[in-house]
Amino acid sequence: MSDGDISISNLEKVYDDGAEKTKAIEDLSFDIDSGEFVGVVGPSGCGKSSLLYLIAGFLETTDGTISVDGEPIDGPGTDRGVVFQDYALFPWRTVMENVTYGLEEQGVSKEERRSTAQRYIDMMDLGGFEDRYPKELSGGMKQRVAIARTLAYDPKILLMDEPFGALDQPLRESLQDQLLDIWRDLEKTVVFITHDVEEAVYLSERVMIMTRRPGTKKTVVPFDLDRSLDREEIITSDKFVTTKNSVWKSLREETQPEVQP
Amino acid sequence: MAHADTGSLGVLPRRFQHATRLIVDWIPLAIVVVLWEFASGTAVPADVLPSPVTVSVQIADLLATGEIFSHLFVSLFRFGVGLGLSIAVGVVLGIGMARSAPIENFFDVFLSMLYPIPKVALVPLAMLWLGVGTGPAVLVVFLACLLPIIMNSYNAAGDVDQNLVWSAKMMGTEGWELLRKVVIPATIPHILTGIRQAIPIAFIALVSAELVASYEGIGYLILEAGQVGNYSLMFANIVVISAVAYAFVTGFEIARDRVVVWT
Repeated sequence: MSDGDISISNLEKVYDDGAEKTKAIEDLSFDIDSGEFVGVVGPSGCGKSSLLYLIAGFLETTDGTISVDGEPIDGPGTDRGVVFQDYALFPWRTVMENVTYGLEEQGVSKEERRSTAQRYIDMMDLGGFEDRYPKELSGGMKQRVAIARTLAYDPKILLMDEPFGALDQPLRESLQDQLLDIWRDLEKTVVFITHDVEEAVYLSERVMIMTRRPGTKKTVVPFDLDRSLDREEIITSDKFVTTKNSVWKSLREETQPEVQP
Repeated sequence: MAHADTGSLGVLPRRFQHATRLIVDWIPLAIVVVLWEFASGTAVPADVLPSPVTVSVQIADLLATGEIFSHLFVSLFRFGVGLGLSIAVGVVLGIGMARSAPIENFFDVFLSMLYPIPKVALVPLAMLWLGVGTGPAVLVVFLACLLPIIMNSYNAAGDVDQNLVWSAKMMGTEGWELLRKVVIPATIPHILTGIRQAIPIAFIALVSAELVASYEGIGYLILEAGQVGNYSLMFANIVVISAVAYAFVTGFEIARDRVVVWT
């Protein structure tokens, strides 16, 4: 596989609202392999969402480059799909119409759109809700629709911005497991932003910890969990606990107030 | 009469709630009508304040002879054209201003100037320009309705959820298509709110213009009846136009709720 790798080099992002400049990201270099699941954690305001939106092409880099499959990105593209924390579903479209949107834009025929969309709707356990509007759905269902909508147009890279942050624990866990199944089956590259260390370690193959603002790569913790085990076995394994603690400690150093000499 | 919740009627069985609410809603009006009936001819001379019964008889008479309908038709035509034009212009201008800084800068000063002017005060000017009849009435209705429609479209189109726009972009929507597929659908509920606000304003402007600058229409009928001292006829015409305006607002609300089922 050679599709969906991301290369970030010397990335810098400065927000300039005219009155003052805020440096959100500074000199960040990081490579993500195709098919990899990378978690990103960092103190709040460290620029992790900015990083995601820069990769998505929604924001322009101030300096440095982001390349996908060796090509520097130029604005948003259908090779990348974002899943937002607030779902960002089109409220005037039904579940089916939301999921077919990307295919519609690619000029796919109506029958094919519907059958493809139906496959992802079923994959996300949304069968029977095709004709409902987003306002009629619970938060967990909305996020499943948003994931189905992004999967339907088949981007190589999934960029997820705290997608389960607004959901309660049991729902998060079931969506996490669903996401892992999808990642394995569909061989996507996933960049997953979260403030939850346990979530990052449970889902990812590597976790990047960012420094406080201006954010940059502090350290990357690679680990190798045995994915054949079930959730309970994984989260109670020594490897999981040790990894979680080391990520937590590293993050803790960034969130603690600086020690005065 | 909009009622979002059933309030304290919630304790009643559901099938009685609607009927009960209907009765409760109309009780204040019923009380006023009853007091009016007693006051007329006792506290206030009956020719100055004709009783509801007299007015009702007068309305029945107006409807029976059919005399009112040609005037009502003229008034509704003016209402429709004026409101229709203000929707066409207001939505385009509102969305244009929200999405383009040059358009916003150009029109901003005119809106700020138009905003505090009572649109009814423009009737003499409209007469000067367009004479008497449909022209000035349409112009005044148009101007009066323009602001609520522009303001609602402008605010909504400028405030479309960034993530919705990004979602569309990541799926390949660009340029003008973003307007058609995201900005306009996201703005529609607010455009409808603007139109809902404009309907009563349109009737105010319409009747005001017809009182001064018309030989037809309900406003003219009200003035004419007053001038000949037929106050029960004047009241009858006022009640008819109020009922028509109320019916339009209610009808529009019902239609709106069916169109934007997704809100």
